[in-house]
Amino acid sequence: MNIAGIGTICTRGRGIESFAHALQQGWKAPQFISLQSLPDKSFPVYPLNQESLMDKAVLGKMRRADRFSRMAALAAWDAVQDSGMALDGEHTMGIIVASAFGPHTTTFRFLDDILDYGEANVSPTAFSHSVHNTAASYIASLLDIRGPTITVSQFAFPFHQAILLAQAWLDEKRCDYVLVGSADESGRVMEYICSQKLRIADDGQIQPFHFSAAPKAVPGEGSVFFLMTSREDGRKYGELSEVALSSHRNEEEDKPDICILEADGMAGDETGYRDAVVPGAFAAGYSPLFGSMLTGSGFQCAAAALMLKEQIRYACPVQDNPGRVNICTVTETAEIHSIHCIRYHCGQKKAVIKLRR
Amino acid sequence: MEGDQEKTLAEIRARVKGLLVDNLALQDIQAEDIRDDEILFGEEGLGLDSLDAVEIVVLLQRNFGLEMKDIDQGKKIFYSVDTLARYIYENRKSNTSKEQS
Repeated sequence: MNIAGIGTICTRGRGIESFAHALQQGWKAPQFISLQSLPDKSFPVYPLNQESLMDKAVLGKMRRADRFSRMAALAAWDAVQDSGMALDGEHTMGIIVASAFGPHTTTFRFLDDILDYGEANVSPTAFSHSVHNTAASYIASLLDIRGPTITVSQFAFPFHQAILLAQAWLDEKRCDYVLVGSADESGRVMEYICSQKLRIADDGQIQPFHFSAAPKAVPGEGSVFFLMTSREDGRKYGELSEVALSSHRNEEEDKPDICILEADGMAGDETGYRDAVVPGAFAAGYSPLFGSMLTGSGFQCAAAALMLKEQIRYACPVQDNPGRVNICTVTETAEIHSIHCIRYHCGQKKAVIKLRR
Repeated sequence: MEGDQEKTLAEIRARVKGLLVDNLALQDIQAEDIRDDEILFGEEGLGLDSLDAVEIVVLLQRNFGLEMKDIDQGKKIFYSVDTLARYIYENRKSNTSKEQS
């Protein structure tokens, strides 16, 4: 499955070029906010810049769309534009959106409306936008896509499941292209939940190489989309060759040049990452750039695809490395053939996305 | 008395404009940009559509306690900000009269 185009939108801006720029620039401090319920406590978060969501040319037909749908639509649009491929009506394209929490801001607004005004007086717009599949619908409408469309919602490995489904659609020739991506937003509800349920990094730094049993998170938000195809002319960023869930395979048989550890404090126990580093390979982790997200795998995958395309090994944005693993400390050109993106969930379940040049 | 009516109508128009801007996600439009005789639906004016009409029905119920059941009546009432404001004013007034009598 070849990666023909990538679109990203996160706290560091919109578009794969801005993401590459963020990888070059390195870590930046998050915003510190106060929650209504916790006014005395400062709370770090990586929110989307509102200006990133202002694009009349793309969003002109999406007046009613909420923040979640807007960020997903922009990333999906950019992935198609980035591919440079002429997508005419002759080819079938599918859409798969992965999300952990969906448009939870709208969903909670809708529920609040029922409580405040009763069932008969809820906004029809809030109702129609309160379901997870709204973003996929907007993307289909925006890009005039008439192939299969689905939203995968899961806490453990939503992006991985979406990739597996995309591969299946391409293999069975249901689609010529699949626009597959992830989106999650950080609204006030999410910030409150994170403040109550997660250990928050008070200094604003996620530490991917601490391999802590009780890691610290900095909530983030954003969306990343990939245009996938089996066609050889769609190999702009190399190939996403395999997704292995709960893998116990011997990594030595398939040794990557770089292991990207998706440790971000969001999914609990991170001790498993210590064993995930393949001897002789570099280790990296880019979650401090965009924040903690259960769908952060999409961004790590985008970083891997960029490294394969540009043949650049990007320095880890936060390099505190008490376990002394072989992390990327400087940004430099390098010969890179394969990268594994490794994610653990709650210290046990493991998923590996394998990319190669 | 006429002065009072016009003052109340002006207040209702301003409130209606604010509600439209806040609840219909009207891009790049401020309440003060909307004229009193601004046509609400169709290609002229604000360009609202059928889903917006349902939203306005909900807004009338929530904010003014007014139910809108007759669709033919709704076409006249929803013509402009002014017709909407007058409908709100008149129904409020009749409600007040009923309460007084």
